Amino acid sequence: MVGLSVGEKHFIQGGVAQDLRCDGRKRLTYRPIYLETGVIPQANGSARVRMGATEVIASVKAELGRPTPLQPDKGKVSIYVDCSPTAEPAFEGRGGDELSTELSTALQCCLLGGKSGAGAGIDLSSLIVVEGKICWDLYIDGLVVSSDGNLLDALGAAIKAALSNTGIPKVNVAASASGDEQPEVDVSDEEFLQFDTSGIPVIVTLTKIGRHYVVDATSEEESQMSSAVSISVNRKGHICGLTKRGGAGLDPSIILDMVSVAKHVSEQLLEKLDSEIAAAEADEGES
Amino acid sequence: MEYVSPEGLRLDGRRPMEMRQIRAEIGTIMKADGSAVFEMGNTKVVAAVYGPREVQNRGQQISDKALVRCEYSMANFSTGDRMRKPKGDRRSTEISLVIRQTMEESILTHLMPRSQIDIYVQVLQADGGTRSACINAATLALADAGIPMRDLVTSCSAGYLNSTPLLDLNYVEDSAGGPDVTLGILPKLDKVTLLQMDSKLPIDIFENVMQLATEGCKAVANYIRELLLENTKELEYRRGV
Repeated sequence: MVGLSVGEKHFIQGGVAQDLRCDGRKRLTYRPIYLETGVIPQANGSARVRMGATEVIASVKAELGRPTPLQPDKGKVSIYVDCSPTAEPAFEGRGGDELSTELSTALQCCLLGGKSGAGAGIDLSSLIVVEGKICWDLYIDGLVVSSDGNLLDALGAAIKAALSNTGIPKVNVAASASGDEQPEVDVSDEEFLQFDTSGIPVIVTLTKIGRHYVVDATSEEESQMSSAVSISVNRKGHICGLTKRGGAGLDPSIILDMVSVAKHVSEQLLEKLDSEIAAAEADEGES
Repeated sequence: MEYVSPEGLRLDGRRPMEMRQIRAEIGTIMKADGSAVFEMGNTKVVAAVYGPREVQNRGQQISDKALVRCEYSMANFSTGDRMRKPKGDRRSTEISLVIRQTMEESILTHLMPRSQIDIYVQVLQADGGTRSACINAATLALADAGIPMRDLVTSCSAGYLNSTPLLDLNYVEDSAGGPDVTLGILPKLDKVTLLQMDSKLPIDIFENVMQLATEGCKAVANYIRELLLENTKELEYRRGV
């Protein structure tokens, strides 16, 4: 936990009010983002993202499964986040469960769209192999290795990078299956299909401290927040999801203001991430 | 199944007495007091050390020495098949205990009475020998945190398959059902602090296998010592000494 003296608290709040934060950033500047892909060879896709002292790893595993009867033409995606005690001793044992669940739910609502799967960042119908019988189940696992605030944005970025790193094996279906029989499949271990990740949104969290709000808050700044709004925005500038944390009430007009700021910030973030992902992929290809 | 080919090569192309490539990095988690990443081939673990600090739970405080705690956890994606196990299953509790006992023995706990040292190890990739990798990572993290120790503890495993002693088993060799000896030593004092074996082995062969594991531990110790020296030099340089 962050233990701050009265003086430190005032310093943080004063800095935010004057648009000069403790580490020299402005209110709407991110810390430098370091990104690495293909860090977990056993997974179909993986990425590690580091922003300051925050470090998260995301991995994507694909398994063949059965689509639900309600949506026979769609695959399934699930997101789980785990908080490792290496990040914070308080996450020891079951201590991290609460935060893990909060982060998983927030990511699900930001990335996966509604119950029907409409509006999801990932095109669920591209995961189908045989309609009503076989589909790919994507398991996205996030792991918080080191935490220094703004976990949600980092996880969102890591998942986006991991998905662009993901190769889904090509599946050949034996034609003979008929009726209720489960068709036989042959999973290729050479040919892979790449995902279309252009529709996956980025998450921008605006943390309100005093009368102003900041992006990419460190854990010291988060300890001073009154509330935080996480907004996920895709490339087209559409809002894909929104969650609010923290108890303090917000004026509806401030929320609208935050949304437009988030939209503006997300453009730069998306651009930055895209170039980082491309650089990381090139790096991996070389080594 | 054949684990050693007639040419004397193992499944991953190593010789029986050969270790996997080891790589380590110190100070990867900035928030922790000490941290390290340790890789043995495809096995990769992160360790973080917090402390010595005030005891969190007053009831556990020991008046004449430090309290050492350890938690081992595996990431969902660390194994070949994705798993979702609840935290604190029997295996991880057992490994936590093993690591704690091994590390506690080398830490000079009497110098830090009424305080607590937490060691957290997180497996990112599991490919056999996680126990050894965790102990090596924990040693590095403790050294990085500047905690006084008698000696570095280093660990390595060895096995016996197809009538050949093998050093540093990977997952496939580990799950072959043969004997798996995990050894932890204090290299300078030349003492064994951890010894575990499953399955059975004739005594004279056990001696050979243990000798091999000892050699492995010493090789790891050399690497760790070099790395720590290099790290210290860098710290010295940064301070401008």
